[in-house]
Amino acid sequence: MTGFMRGYVRTVDGVNYHIGRVMMYGIFVMMGILLWSSISKTFFLPSLWTLEMAQFAMVAYYIMGGPYSIQLGSNVRMDLFYGRWSVQTRAWVDSFTVLFLIFFLGVLLYGGIDSLIYAIQYNERSPTAWRPVLWPIKSVMCLGLFLMILQAVSELFKDIAHIRGEEL
Amino acid sequence: MSYEMIAILMFASMMLMLMTGQRVFGAIGAVAAVAALALWGTGGSVIPFSASMKLMKWYPLLTLPMFIFMGYVLSESRIADDLYKMFHVWMGPVPGGLAIGTIGLMVLISAMNGLSVAGMAIGATIALPELLRRGYDKRMVTGVIQAGSSLGILVPPSVVLVLYAMIARQPVGQLWLAGILPGLLMAGLFILYIYLRCRISPGLGPVLPPEERAGIAFAEKVRLLGAGVLPLVIFATMMVPFVNGWTSLVESSAIGALAALVAAVLKGRMSRTVFETSVRQTLAVSCMFMWIIVAAMAFGAVFDGLGAVKAIESLFTEKLGLDPWMILILMQLSFILMGTFLDDTAMLVIVAPLYIPLVKALGFDLIWYGVLYTITTQIAYMTPPFGYNLFLMKAMAPKEIGLKDIYASIVPFVLVMVLALAIVMAFPQIALWLPHQVYGL
Amino acid sequence: QSKIRWRMQTYAGVALADHVIRPAIESFNKIAGDEMEIELYTADQLVPTGELFRAMQQGTIDAVQSDDDSMASPTEVTVFGGYFPFASRYSLDVPVLFNQYGLNEIWGAEYEKVGVKHISAGSWDPCNFATISPIKSLDDLKGKRVFTFPTAGRFLAQFGVVPVTLPYEDVEVAMQTGELDGVAWSGITEDYTVGWAGPAKYFLTNNISGAWIGHFFANMDRWNEVPERLQELLRVCMDQSHYYRQWWYWGGEARLRVEGTKMELTSIPDEDWDKVETAARTFWDEIAQESETKAKIVSIFRKYNEDMQKAGRPYRYSKA
Ligand code: NA
Ligand code: NA
Repeated sequence: MTGFMRGYVRTVDGVNYHIGRVMMYGIFVMMGILLWSSISKTFFLPSLWTLEMAQFAMVAYYIMGGPYSIQLGSNVRMDLFYGRWSVQTRAWVDSFTVLFLIFFLGVLLYGGIDSLIYAIQYNERSPTAWRPVLWPIKSVMCLGLFLMILQAVSELFKDIAHIRGEEL
Repeated sequence: MSYEMIAILMFASMMLMLMTGQRVFGAIGAVAAVAALALWGTGGSVIPFSASMKLMKWYPLLTLPMFIFMGYVLSESRIADDLYKMFHVWMGPVPGGLAIGTIGLMVLISAMNGLSVAGMAIGATIALPELLRRGYDKRMVTGVIQAGSSLGILVPPSVVLVLYAMIARQPVGQLWLAGILPGLLMAGLFILYIYLRCRISPGLGPVLPPEERAGIAFAEKVRLLGAGVLPLVIFATMMVPFVNGWTSLVESSAIGALAALVAAVLKGRMSRTVFETSVRQTLAVSCMFMWIIVAAMAFGAVFDGLGAVKAIESLFTEKLGLDPWMILILMQLSFILMGTFLDDTAMLVIVAPLYIPLVKALGFDLIWYGVLYTITTQIAYMTPPFGYNLFLMKAMAPKEIGLKDIYASIVPFVLVMVLALAIVMAFPQIALWLPHQVYGL
Repeated sequence: QSKIRWRMQTYAGVALADHVIRPAIESFNKIAGDEMEIELYTADQLVPTGELFRAMQQGTIDAVQSDDDSMASPTEVTVFGGYFPFASRYSLDVPVLFNQYGLNEIWGAEYEKVGVKHISAGSWDPCNFATISPIKSLDDLKGKRVFTFPTAGRFLAQFGVVPVTLPYEDVEVAMQTGELDGVAWSGITEDYTVGWAGPAKYFLTNNISGAWIGHFFANMDRWNEVPERLQELLRVCMDQSHYYRQWWYWGGEARLRVEGTKMELTSIPDEDWDKVETAARTFWDEIAQESETKAKIVSIFRKYNEDMQKAGRPYRYSKA
């Protein structure tokens, strides 16, 4: 079991780390789109696609980058009690409460897949003049949510290991 | 189940989940998801995802990563060092002068940035070690930096006021202008407090020794004033095109981020490490905010669709039978109370949509309320047990500053902020005068 | 038997909803008493408009007030709902088209295919430009970022308009933050009611469309669960809402053009206007080629407009 968990954690953390390292440069993608938007607006005709494209980039950025942000420990917690607990106690509590987190992510993913199927079935397009098809961004969102769940499970395994006094 | 029961149940389980110390977005999102599945009826399971689609369409959120990046570039590249030196030499002879100078520094940084994070980072890395070395009282200076950095969301540009504008459907330009005088008032009150405290007990903020002051030539002092120009230039590259309508808000935020990047490169401070830290931290902090907003939006939609919003509205407007001012004061108090436990982003997304229609129905000015709202959010940001400042301070401060010091340090400043809140409530013109002048209302 | 509860979301923001839907829903709830209650939610309140159709199809939302176009319904009729250039001129045109020219049947069948009950159509809005800088010729449209319906956007793009779609409630702020230069969405009554008349100081009197069509829809299963008597009451109250809009807009347009102080009225020259009308007919031809159903609807619009033309005054005042 420990062997499996170790392997899982190493693989998932590794994959999410690399994806996150790529996604973090997404800030320049957003910046580039918005700068092009201001340039084209000032000197030529305003572009149809910039605002929406920037929104897609933002969504990809935070959803696909989400697992790496968990690894970085940037998702704040209210530490009124948590801050005072021992590492062991935290691992115990976390290993239960992370199930709630996984549940939330699962419901998000369920809705995402439902919405993605709809988008593919009806070839859904954004109701804008640019009219981009929506399945690509919805696929990215679903993939990101799936990776988030994998990462949350990895956190659970790490907590279980902590309780057993091991380190994965 | 009655609407009141649902409201109480959802809020109580959210508080409980938060207390367990699970990640804030997970705690809020889980309550939303459970309630959606258990209480909504058919189709409740798609609400959380549809909240994430709502977030995608909320275009001003694009300013968030831009301002975060800008803040990290400014703090990591230490281009604010000169700025700090400027305040240092000019304010040195005054009791508590360095602390007063730090507030000045915070005001300038606030004008370059839409969030509090940058001020906190710059204050903790540049000002704090220097102040401690000069024998300033650790609790006072810790408080100074936390309070000062909170000005970031009141002094324009401000992401919080942009999000408020979206929720309240009020013009961003007017809201930003409305934040300026209350922001300066609050900075002034902080300075007054520091000055008086240090006059009474000079040990808290010793005057710079005369021999050190003599070591700085007047020409050098004048040269340092030039450091104050940089923030003005960055502020102007961002704000001038926006105010003139050449660029939109989100475009301007990208220009601001670029301006900060260019400034850091030109000053020769954009090393590999600085670049890597800024880019990585921008992702980390943006993700923190965005995930909380998704969870809070899901919570808000479920809460609303289950009728709990109606329960709260009727509680305030009918059941309590109070006059408008009492309701307003009560709302602010409940806001501050919730703010101690809730994160300020979540507060904005969950609580603001509840209160804003009420405030409007009571006949109050929504621009003015935006300022009250922001000050309350600042207080929420400061007060334990939950506040970003607490995390950031703990992460950035030197070891000699413990959690106890951080908690204790904010008390006088929170009182000053409550005073500022009361003043702006009593004299709405402090907020409204400037936007009325500029927009000719 | 327990009370039936419906959640209904409208396309309209809070201020507009107070006119175009809330009175009808309040009447319905009053009459339905303990048997049924509709809880009304405004634009994007529970689900974003982009997800609105899916949410209704699935039962997350029980009923919807919207045009076909803004909720992006996956049907053949979508393009006609939000704005179809010059398809109608007066507010009575819409109920006549639906009740006497056969559109009801087409809409009913199209929505049944996707699990949605089309209850009623009959609302109509004029669709004028309200902009931050004045429009005095067709050239002034070039490069303007305008909030409008998707189909309107497709049509107007040939005149250099840059169509932008945003959440309804964000439009006013978007004009202030520079995301938008104006709207091509409504008549002057709505501009004043929802606050667009603040940032948008100019109103173009030529209405490039007169074909906004408002509908009521419900999730098919929810609809079938409602007793016949209450279904009838729903229809009556929805018709009442169409009627409210008829006089509210008709009276408001005239009064605000005459007495309104926030907007300056402009017009574009007749020869420019002819170009727009000609372009509209070409646009109709293109749409008609897309499918059989679309061709049928376009032919109905043509027939109706010819009939109106022949009938002469007061139906149509055109040169011919
Ligand atoms: Na600021
Ligand atoms: Na707090």
